[in-house]
Amino acid sequence: MNPVITAWTAVSPYGIDRESFVDGLRSGDAAAVSDGAAHPAALVPGFDVRELLGRKGTRSMDRLIGLAVWAVGRLTAGRPAERGDRSGLVIGTMGSLQSTMDFTRSSLTEAKPYFVDPGRMPNSIMNSAAGQCAIRHSLTGPNVTLAGGRPAGLSALACALRLLRAGRASNVLVGAVEEYSDTRSWIEAHSGVGGVLGEGCVMLRVEPAGEGPALAEVLAVRSRVAPPGDVEGALTSCVDDALTAAGLSADDVTIEFWSGVPDRPDPVAELIGDTGAASAMFQVAAVLATGEPGDVAVVGSADRDGAVVAAVLRLGGSR
Amino acid sequence: MSRRVVVTGLGVVSSIGIGRAEFADALRAGRSGARPISVFDTAGFEHTLGCEVAGFDARPWIHRIDPDELGRASRFAVAASRMAVEDARITEEELRARRGMVCVGTTDGEAHDLDQLAEMELAHGPAAMDPVLARRSPATRLSAAVARDFALSDVEAVTVATACSAGNYAIGTGFDAVRTGEADFALCGGADAMCRKTFAGFYRLGTVAPDCCRPFDKDRKGILTGEGAGMIVLETAESALRRGAPIYAEVLGYALNCDALHPVAPDRASIKECIELALADAGAEPGEVDLISAHGTGTPANDVTETGAIRDVYGEKPPPTVSFKAMLGHAMGAASALAAIACGIGITDRFIPPTINHRETDPECAIDCVPNQAVEADLRIVQNNGLAFGGNNAVVVLGRFDEEVAR
Repeated sequence: MNPVITAWTAVSPYGIDRESFVDGLRSGDAAAVSDGAAHPAALVPGFDVRELLGRKGTRSMDRLIGLAVWAVGRLTAGRPAERGDRSGLVIGTMGSLQSTMDFTRSSLTEAKPYFVDPGRMPNSIMNSAAGQCAIRHSLTGPNVTLAGGRPAGLSALACALRLLRAGRASNVLVGAVEEYSDTRSWIEAHSGVGGVLGEGCVMLRVEPAGEGPALAEVLAVRSRVAPPGDVEGALTSCVDDALTAAGLSADDVTIEFWSGVPDRPDPVAELIGDTGAASAMFQVAAVLATGEPGDVAVVGSADRDGAVVAAVLRLGGSR
Repeated sequence: MSRRVVVTGLGVVSSIGIGRAEFADALRAGRSGARPISVFDTAGFEHTLGCEVAGFDARPWIHRIDPDELGRASRFAVAASRMAVEDARITEEELRARRGMVCVGTTDGEAHDLDQLAEMELAHGPAAMDPVLARRSPATRLSAAVARDFALSDVEAVTVATACSAGNYAIGTGFDAVRTGEADFALCGGADAMCRKTFAGFYRLGTVAPDCCRPFDKDRKGILTGEGAGMIVLETAESALRRGAPIYAEVLGYALNCDALHPVAPDRASIKECIELALADAGAEPGEVDLISAHGTGTPANDVTETGAIRDVYGEKPPPTVSFKAMLGHAMGAASALAAIACGIGITDRFIPPTINHRETDPECAIDCVPNQAVEADLRIVQNNGLAFGGNNAVVVLGRFDEEVAR
């Protein structure tokens, strides 16, 4: 029996909850855009860490951590984890470039190079969001941060499946998070990325089948590395691998989404902007938001540094 | 399906030696990697020693990618990977014919490049940042570059960013992938490059030692930051025996858990649980463990908490418990990978590398840390601890491979 997705949430440029993402996607209207540093930015409207999460424990929390903590909280609100229950968390992210480079900037500009804010030091390291989510929501099982570009959420999904298969976690909250920041905008601009930059976080609960009503069955996730200049070839092989593992063929596929693949449009990014490390996970969310029971969905994504990942889902769960 | 997984190649870029043989000699001699930091400007800091990888040119090890497109950590990762593959006596063609995994753990990725970008921005504005550095700054490169430099396509490449236990996470990930048949081989470990950001952070936390790292010592003053890469080849025992490959160790099991309590302070009960989970995964009893490679940062808090957790599992007489950070400094995401390699060398060459710089054991850390001098030892089962900010604990258990005895 394949693991299943039993819950999901999204905090997106459409709003801070799943409903606003679903409504926004169905409306087909692009999320509002404001001026950013080097790009227009589609921000999560009204997202204020301290307002949403309270003042306790949030003084040093950056936007990226706040987005992740908020999203995980939507899933644990209805089903809290208990210490020791092996609830896992896997997050795909590039961390906060803003926090990371701000920390260096303070070392370079303060009177002494070590007059940096110790409370913000963890924010400059990529696992801070997962660590803070664990603290806020008592997630004591495997806690994994994967550094990834657009496919990061799919890599995280593969990791979650591996943890479940090996019996290392009872259930896994798995997702991806990205923030808009001026620093990210400049780094992306220098890396040749244009368009609107989006942000947000998507979280799924993945667990063995039979634990709860299944929204979708995760049939397979497969990865490859594209040789320079051949994303298309590697992605095609990767999708074939995943479909073969799922016991399906291309004819069975009723929904497909691509991100970071030249010449394959990304309709989700057209609505909410380029959500960076959260891109592929936002497409999984789009599958869950718009698919019908029985649909077979392929979500494929390419990182600009080479990794390609494809996932095959069937909506409505096991049958 | 559960297959036995063995370590057949060791690749090392470290402050005390490059490559398996040099590293093994340094471990046996108890060499120190401490030297004045040169990779960033230390003006304004009173203590300026670190365990830097000095005088190493990664370029000869990088075959396909333009080295200028790789940051320091990625170069270390590629170089250590190539050493590991050569050590495993497997060719690129043989690797390409198999399904694989490349998994590199890191704390900071290419934060050394981000430091430089921040400096350029402060001096000349954000438009003046160097696009070459910007493009090579994502931590994804650490694993992707390894795959691309070997022209491997049928591999999953992942960069695990769980800070200072990331090396163990990567080894555990590779272990699960090979054990279950998801991959035929894994090239896994950790890599990090020293950077101002992390040095300043640890310095501000009061955890950078003025002279040297003295784990478990009553006068310990903290860490020296370090860097490097440790990469290993994992494959099934069956494949290794068929190839006649060297087998340094068997990966018997591992475990992950999370403190979920404090962003930076370790938790004794949680570390105890992680050790117990790892031993259970390995099918080993505490009484069978011959050596513990501790996270052992040499900070007052870590060493008391960690040895406390070890005693909670092992009782008042734990097996010898060493910290390689006395020699290597804290190589961050590479730390537990380099430590795992040191364990593999200890198992193979039958000795325990010492905890150097040791004068007097802190009664609060009462363990035998094998002070200053290596000792001969028949090591059958070794536990390797990795602890990290975020409460990210990862413990790997290695054993001497015995074809007749499956655990």
